[in-house]
Amino acid sequence: MTVPQQRSSPDPALALRGLVKRFDTKLAVAGVDLDVPAGSFFGLLGPNGAGKTTTLSMAVGLLRPDAGQARLLGHDVWADPAAAKARIGVLPDGARLFDRLTGTELLAYHGLLRGMDAGVVDQRAAELMDVLALGADNRTLVVDYSAGMKKKIGLACAMLHAPRLLVLDEPFEAVDPVSAALIRDILQRYVAGGGTVVFSSHVMAVVERLCSHVAILADGTIRLRGTLAEVRGERSLEDVFVEVVGGRTATGSELAWL
Amino acid sequence: MAVGVRHFVKLKLRITANGLRGQTWRVALFVLGAVLAAGAAVGGYALFSLPGLLGEQRAAEVALPLAGGLIVLGWLFLPLVFFGVDESLDPARFALLPLPRRTLIRGLFVASLAGVPAVATFAGTLGMVDSAARLGGPLAALAQFVGVVTGLLLCAAISRSLTSAFATALRSRRARDLATVLLACVAALLGPLQLAALAGAENADWAGIARVADVIAWTPFGAPYSLGPDVAAGRLWAVPVKVVLILATIGLLLWWWSRTLERAMLGAVGRSGPRERAASARRPVAQLVPAWLPRTRFGALTAREMRYWWRETRRRASLITFSVVGVFLPVFIGVSSGSAGAPTGMLIFVGALAAVSLANQFGFEGSAYAANVVAGVPGRLELTSRVAGFSVYVVPALLVISVVVGLAVGRPESIPALFGVLAAAYGVGLALALPVSIRMAYALPDTANPFALSSGGGMAKGLLTFAALFGAALLTVPVQLVAFLAHDVWLWAGLPLGVLYGGGALLLGLRLAGPMLDRRMPELLATVTARQ
Repeated sequence: MTVPQQRSSPDPALALRGLVKRFDTKLAVAGVDLDVPAGSFFGLLGPNGAGKTTTLSMAVGLLRPDAGQARLLGHDVWADPAAAKARIGVLPDGARLFDRLTGTELLAYHGLLRGMDAGVVDQRAAELMDVLALGADNRTLVVDYSAGMKKKIGLACAMLHAPRLLVLDEPFEAVDPVSAALIRDILQRYVAGGGTVVFSSHVMAVVERLCSHVAILADGTIRLRGTLAEVRGERSLEDVFVEVVGGRTATGSELAWL
Repeated sequence: MAVGVRHFVKLKLRITANGLRGQTWRVALFVLGAVLAAGAAVGGYALFSLPGLLGEQRAAEVALPLAGGLIVLGWLFLPLVFFGVDESLDPARFALLPLPRRTLIRGLFVASLAGVPAVATFAGTLGMVDSAARLGGPLAALAQFVGVVTGLLLCAAISRSLTSAFATALRSRRARDLATVLLACVAALLGPLQLAALAGAENADWAGIARVADVIAWTPFGAPYSLGPDVAAGRLWAVPVKVVLILATIGLLLWWWSRTLERAMLGAVGRSGPRERAASARRPVAQLVPAWLPRTRFGALTAREMRYWWRETRRRASLITFSVVGVFLPVFIGVSSGSAGAPTGMLIFVGALAAVSLANQFGFEGSAYAANVVAGVPGRLELTSRVAGFSVYVVPALLVISVVVGLAVGRPESIPALFGVLAAAYGVGLALALPVSIRMAYALPDTANPFALSSGGGMAKGLLTFAALFGAALLTVPVQLVAFLAHDVWLWAGLPLGVLYGGGALLLGLRLAGPMLDRRMPELLATVTARQ
């Protein structure tokens, strides 16, 4: 495995400093510091409600933090949003797509929105629809896509303008194994070509297979971070994760009626 | 323990309360709406108790059914045009619960009464009981009370079943155009009725109106509110007949509602089937952006807006409703007011009403707006393209409206000036609606009913609409003055002046709202994202 050992590269792809977000009375993210080295495949792990989506939303400029800084490829996303946002691609959580467009229309929309030339958009959109097996002449509205197809079209929208950093929220959630394998393959090629991927997940198998670096987030703080080898040590990632998060591993006599 | 009606009511109240929690301006709107409703209720009570206070038996026989009929009509049309329906109890959420349909319908129906409009209507119409008591003693009062209660049930049943049916019709692709035609027909049918009533009011005497009222008193619209006067006039036999009529109507409406609801509940799981379109040989960008738009950010944003106004049910519903209201309202007023000339005031209302459709434009797409935030679309460009995309539909509609109105009032030479007035009102309305859409956006519930609003949303929508209409009326006073005072000049100067006035207002609005959007993009995204 080719794990970049340089942890303190001069300009990390994504740098978070002291990010804090409070919703009403709940402290969703309580001071997150994180460096994602350029060229790494970075997995942000955490149980449901740990603050993964909130953290990533603040990192890409979708949610204003109460405190802290987020720098994307050296540009502060809140001080200089235009420069920072132009260099990244984002797959937001859930179905945050303009889903009353067809897949092709949606790609054309994202391409033009990124200021790309119409000819380039045409060529890349057709290619992406084809490679992601969405059907180049498919005129179904995205709202009628299956969950896996929605993830794939969302990913295509994020990659269309060839950004140097991809921030993906749960890209493997609700995706069937065939589509997941395809997405994995595309992302691995992207990283091999010099891109950086940050994604959130709670599927340990995928993370162990893909990531060069991981961080474990629980209750709004980073509990553990490093290269995959450093974090995992001699054990399986799942054991480490459950231990760090402090989950309950076995039930006693409670659910006897089941 | 069996699930009863009170569980639904409690659930509804709990959802309303939770929806208000921690949202200061929502609470403020709710309180404001409640105060206004209380005012209307007190006013209504005073008005309806007047015939009794004066001791005018015949006045009561005429006024109560007429006013009651108007109230029922209001319950029918106001939700479609202004308020939406409070669907905080989304029927689709009950689809998996083991509830008999009767229980579900009864529960949802009674829960729909647990809201500000129903309480205000009830309190206001109680004035009729007062009247009946003074005119015909306790028995008449009792009859009128029965009438007021059944009348309220009728109002709720009519508004629920019609919005639900219309929503179902809009959702299925095949019936989509049918729904448009149907709504137009309903409005067209109302036209002659209204014309007849207005003509009667103008030409005929008191006896003419009284005859109309006597007829209305025997339709489901007026019947509930004529029970008291009937008893007071000694027509005791009429009461049971009318009660049967009303109950049968309510029963029929509820049956119809339950049918459409069932379809809606199934639809929420299965959807109306994927919309397969013919494969297109055109290149991706050409599929999105029509040839007459530039292949730029602006072109893409505008093209998406155009698609959305037609493909998204909520937007389509508001577009269709506007078109129908926009064409018919000024024509009625124009024709029925006789030779008084062009109905400038009504045109101002229509132009502003079009713009008000954008007052919660970001709420329509909810969290999908994240794509534009991530792409860092400048606020000015975002708003300009939204106005452009909407105007592709609205400007032709305004043209049609001015032609139709001009012909209907028999003054075709005034058509350009009429369009000028519409354009001025539309521009001013947009200038007002744009900042409102940024500062006072609210999330729309994720349901199948395009008229559905979460609790409190109806109040917000209605008040914002009225505020914007009022503001537009105020800001177009110069145009109205010129049109009124310099009538001959206005005939040829109206078009350029109106367009300039509206265009200038729109530019100002964009200049103001653009930077506002730049500053508030993430906050706006958070407010329009439906809370899970």
